[in-house]
Amino acid sequence: MDEKKNYPFHELYLKREWSYTTGAVLLTLLAIALVIVTGKAWGVTGSFGMWGGWFLNLFGANVDAWDGFKGTPVSTYNFWMDNTAITDLGIVIGAFLAVLLAAQFKIKKIKNGRQVVAAVIGGLLMGIGARLSLGCNIGALFSGLPAFSLHGWVFFVCIFIGAAVGSQFLKKYFI
Amino acid sequence: MAEKSLDCLGEACPIPLVKAQKEMERMAVNDVLIVNVDHSCAMKNLPDWARSAGHAVEIEEVGEGEWDIIIQKLK
Repeated sequence: MDEKKNYPFHELYLKREWSYTTGAVLLTLLAIALVIVTGKAWGVTGSFGMWGGWFLNLFGANVDAWDGFKGTPVSTYNFWMDNTAITDLGIVIGAFLAVLLAAQFKIKKIKNGRQVVAAVIGGLLMGIGARLSLGCNIGALFSGLPAFSLHGWVFFVCIFIGAAVGSQFLKKYFI
Repeated sequence: MAEKSLDCLGEACPIPLVKAQKEMERMAVNDVLIVNVDHSCAMKNLPDWARSAGHAVEIEEVGEGEWDIIIQKLK
């Protein structure tokens, strides 16, 4: 296409996907910067639990009394003071910016009902799993391994088992 | 030489790849398969697989966030 010749910088840096090595180096540097600036390791799903608790509190659930919220009461939670919430927001804004810069933004259609069922069940399982293991693949794995934490390695083995089981369901219902 | 198209719009990885692999098995040498995708990582793993399997691959951007992956079966 002509656009490739006219805008070589755009084509190379904003449109074409970066290599795994580029991604890994950038992720590492940004994660180190986050620890230096905030004093805490990168996480994603910790805040989801707080938002869920906040939502349940709207209906009078008083989740502060639950064991899972000991030490992190929902009643004093402030979104803008929560490092993880801010980086979560950054992920969404960053991804949106990246797709716009690449001129690849598209609202995708839902192809069939099975996609909806799988998304809902999958989302619930991932959410429950992330809370039970005290982190997702970022908080428990990505931030756990460099901290020499054993739970990161346990998580590492378990996601492969989960992916193997999940692939069988995928082949059965989606192919 | 037959030409076949495969609509994978709205489908996420690795479904377009597995569907294309299945379709390629049923095709004869020199046949062309056009896979229509709107999932950017299918644009990487599908051509990677097809090239490593020894087929000819071309990618055409048909719209914003939408691609045709054209694979010619060579063996």
